Amino acid sequence: MKVITKNEQQTIKLGEKFGQTLKGGEVVLLVGDLGAGKTTFVKGVAKALGVKRVVNSPTFVLMKIYVIKNKELRITNLIHIDTYRGLDIGDLKNIGAVEYFKRKDCVSFVEWGESLEDYLKKEKINFKKIVIKNISETKREFNFIE
Amino acid sequence: MLHDTGHSFKILSNCVSSQVQVHAKYGGVVPEVAARLHIEKILPMIQLALKQAKKKIAEIDYIAVTAGPGLMSSLMIGTETAKTLALALNKQLIRINHIEGHLLSITEQLEFPAVGLVVSGGHTQIILVKDYLKYKLIGETRDDAAGEAFDKVAKILGLGYPGGPAISVAAAKVESVKSIPGIEIKLPRPMLDKVGFEMSFSGLKTSVLYKWNELVKILSPENLDKARNLMAYEFQKAVVEVLVAKTAAAALKFKAKTIVLGGGVSANKWLRSEMLRVISEKLPDVNVLMPEMKMAGDNAAMIAQAAYFHVLKKDFIEPTKLKPDPGWELVS
Repeated sequence: MKVITKNEQQTIKLGEKFGQTLKGGEVVLLVGDLGAGKTTFVKGVAKALGVKRVVNSPTFVLMKIYVIKNKELRITNLIHIDTYRGLDIGDLKNIGAVEYFKRKDCVSFVEWGESLEDYLKKEKINFKKIVIKNISETKREFNFIE
Repeated sequence: MLHDTGHSFKILSNCVSSQVQVHAKYGGVVPEVAARLHIEKILPMIQLALKQAKKKIAEIDYIAVTAGPGLMSSLMIGTETAKTLALALNKQLIRINHIEGHLLSITEQLEFPAVGLVVSGGHTQIILVKDYLKYKLIGETRDDAAGEAFDKVAKILGLGYPGGPAISVAAAKVESVKSIPGIEIKLPRPMLDKVGFEMSFSGLKTSVLYKWNELVKILSPENLDKARNLMAYEFQKAVVEVLVAKTAAAALKFKAKTIVLGGGVSANKWLRSEMLRVISEKLPDVNVLMPEMKMAGDNAAMIAQAAYFHVLKKDFIEPTKLKPDPGWELVS
């Protein structure tokens, strides 16, 4: 499924819609260049899950964990990971990120996540992939791949 | 290691493991994730700090440790070591927030209220400091941290790593060539006209990306080199203008007596000189305090300095009750 967003607000809205479909246990790989809107999309997801804190880029801190307090959801944690600085699967194991991939009460979003595909397939961990293309300075194409 | 001189303090030693100085960004180990290295290094580092300070461990009065925010895997090694030492040596333990460390990385005392700008690769926050130990987050970046934007823009322009110094060096070359005929390099000043202290640097990064890709298509190699420096100059100017304006607005609103800077980006010379220039012009009664260069980035002495003020207020924690908090927001 492909969706075009015309600006940042629409990307947040799209993330919000996607967030409403989450049931827990999902691992989502976000693939796209610098400035594609990966963090912006996760902002929308966080909004849908009721996160009050500001969701900003995890590039330098590598992983951010947002606690979900919505009792109607079985999701308790939104995990926001960024491998931009060259993190491989060994690094993700070191910081404890991989443990979250197997938890049904967590949803994990990995920016620059394409390098994890082989590992996830080998470990039989289900994942979704969202490929984002820059069309113009503000316009983006989101391609949702199951 | 910090020594209490009666009414102030003196740094006896401030050791940084070479591990964190290795910026193995493009392949190899990202320093913070190497939990095994942290375990291997922590005790030798404590010994080195003691040796440099010419102290024995029994002479230590207090032990301070960072309890968050950060990666659980790193925080746990520090906190477990500190807890064990505090229990074994029967010393008081102090838990410090990493951001508080950056706020108190200066040697001067603060006059209150104070407004702090903590700006690094991972954080860009404006904090109201009503007194020591009384903090309120009043604004932060809603997307990229300023240091992260420097880093990513340096990569877009092919300027290398670390991005902050690389951008500053390129920007400094602009003095001689201020323009290229027919080409204007102008970047937006995100959030500048908006009320409040929220900041944003992601759009600025995207703006550089698109403008740069256009320039690559049309300019000769010689002009492209000039354009690269001009872009770095304009980018640094844009980021600093927003940081200074938001900090100044916060200082005005909260009637601050002091503005204090901290974090790796506070070593940026343009930020330092612009902050001093603008504040002395607009808010001449406000004192601007900035850390020494070696205290700007992450270090342990800033944690000890922050702990000094917790000791004054006898704010200790039972070792068995100390838990790391990866998302610890500085509020009190």
